[in-house]
Amino acid sequence: MHITTEIGSVNTLTTITRQAIINSLRDQTVVILVLLFLILVLVSAYLGWSATTTVNMIYLHSAEFLVAHDRPVPPNPVLDTSPLVLLRNMATYVSLIGALAAIVVGYQTIAGDRKAEVLPLLGSRPLIQKHYGYGKILALTIMLLGLVAIAALINTLAFMLLPEFTLDATGWLRLGAFYLTSGLYLLVFGLLGLACASYARSESVALLVPVTCWLIFTFVLPQLTSNINPVAALNPVSALADPPESTFFQITGILLGPVSLAEAYRLISAQLLDFLPPDYVSHSAIAPIWSLLLAGVGLHFTAIWAIARMDMARGAYHG
Amino acid sequence: MGKQNDPCWVIAQKDIRDALHDRFIILVTGFLMIASLTALTVAAIALHTDVATYTDAVKTLLALGKSVDVIAAPEFYPLRLLRGFVEHTQIIGAVLGILLGYRAAASERGHQTLALMLTRPISQSQFLWGKIQGAILLLGAGLSAVFLVVGVAVYGISGVGLSAMDGVRLLLVLLAALVHTLLFFLLGFAAALWSRHLPHALLFAFTIWLALVLLAPQIGDTLDPDNQVAGGVFKQLDIEKPHQIEILKSFATYETIRTGIEALSPTKHFERFSFAVLGIKETYAGRPLWPILEEKTGDILWLLGLLATLSGLLFVCRLNTQKLTQE
Repeated sequence: MHITTEIGSVNTLTTITRQAIINSLRDQTVVILVLLFLILVLVSAYLGWSATTTVNMIYLHSAEFLVAHDRPVPPNPVLDTSPLVLLRNMATYVSLIGALAAIVVGYQTIAGDRKAEVLPLLGSRPLIQKHYGYGKILALTIMLLGLVAIAALINTLAFMLLPEFTLDATGWLRLGAFYLTSGLYLLVFGLLGLACASYARSESVALLVPVTCWLIFTFVLPQLTSNINPVAALNPVSALADPPESTFFQITGILLGPVSLAEAYRLISAQLLDFLPPDYVSHSAIAPIWSLLLAGVGLHFTAIWAIARMDMARGAYHG
Repeated sequence: MGKQNDPCWVIAQKDIRDALHDRFIILVTGFLMIASLTALTVAAIALHTDVATYTDAVKTLLALGKSVDVIAAPEFYPLRLLRGFVEHTQIIGAVLGILLGYRAAASERGHQTLALMLTRPISQSQFLWGKIQGAILLLGAGLSAVFLVVGVAVYGISGVGLSAMDGVRLLLVLLAALVHTLLFFLLGFAAALWSRHLPHALLFAFTIWLALVLLAPQIGDTLDPDNQVAGGVFKQLDIEKPHQIEILKSFATYETIRTGIEALSPTKHFERFSFAVLGIKETYAGRPLWPILEEKTGDILWLLGLLATLSGLLFVCRLNTQKLTQE
């Protein structure tokens, strides 16, 4: 009897997960955003290659000029950098379009059912609400990790097609770790979208609250902790400027650093892709990876709680 | 016909009332104000840190009996504190425009009142103009409130009163911000008016927002060779400005593509205009206003041209009421 119940739970979970994935893939909104993200992944590799090649050419021209004027020629900055730097724009695109796509996927995973008014029907079945929540979160995780896997594949192909940028074993490991971190970052925003879609009474609140949170994480918090202006936050190199030596930034760094998720992700990405300035010091009270892990775990439980308190007898949004 | 009987004005009034009932518009405007004040406060603290560092350096030099001429004193222009504010206005202001535009069309479509309205003796143009009038008043009031609060905060934080000319500069940037935000209002409005499914309209508008407000300037900025290396490639190679220009002549095509991508973005034109007028960009700090306006006419014409084109398209294309009632 106990085994039968467990098999039933697994079947329920699998059914809900599969159905959520199929529904999301049928939603044009989700598909368009995901496609846009993947196009940008491709663009990112091209931009990295184009910019690096241009800097190299500028160096060669400058070296000719310096030699002609009997001046010392400094080392080529391009040779100082790791080939992984080619993908530095990826960190920006994951935190921009990737996070937005994750919010929409998370939102759609629950909102699809609420808008179709199927919750009362599901509530009339012998379904444990907790399993419904686990199924949805599992579906979200599979979709977002799938998205990251496709992005990783595109970038791997880019490295294979550009022979001047070769990676050693450590480089591939770093790249793998970067994609795992990106998956975690997307999951944080996906869970935020899912939790808001479950908790909110109105459809517009369900979408706008996570988007506002994304704006705060991306543009407001980095300004408070590191004096990074909103537009500088879009440039992977400018966003790593040292915060001014001031008590204010030390205090905000310690207090707000742990919740400044976009900054935490940017720092980890810069470390893994080898473009973090060697003298950069983060004032955050905890290591950036802990910020992401704690946010992921916290939002996981928040999402489970928000789904558990959904009224299965009504379900639909009010406005 | 009195203004009260003017159908455009009636539509505009109703839209303003509806938008004020809808907490989002007020909330997003409030969010823009909080983000702007945060940016201003942080900029003032960073400047204070620079001044303190300079004062310490001067004391050290004097104690060593050396001349203080070897270090440059930090220059203070109060309007330069507004960099973060302008950037928030271009990002969050555009979101505000999209949400207002989407709401203006979605509210009619959601209540199935659009087709009904167009069966009354008002033309499509009157309906559209009424909606745009409402948006101009709402966005104008919201942005004016934000600019006023930020202007007062500059005085409060820096302790330096703004001159009349500073006020004129702020007013010009406010007008440019209104045009920029209206562009995104038209985008959200047109998308919600023409799209078969409303959620797709919002997604479409946000995709364009991402592309024009964040991605195009980001790509242009990232491709800048001087932004590839921390501190700048030419600084690292110790090449002086005239020689930098000479070397960059060999990369004219690359630079044309890079600036072309940036120029596609109305946000970049708004930023160039605002940074120049407020003296945020170093080369414009302390310069008289008129020559700056002459130099930046292209940016403002670009914004106005795009506004005219989008408005023209909206008025020229006929609304398919049959399609709209199917939503």
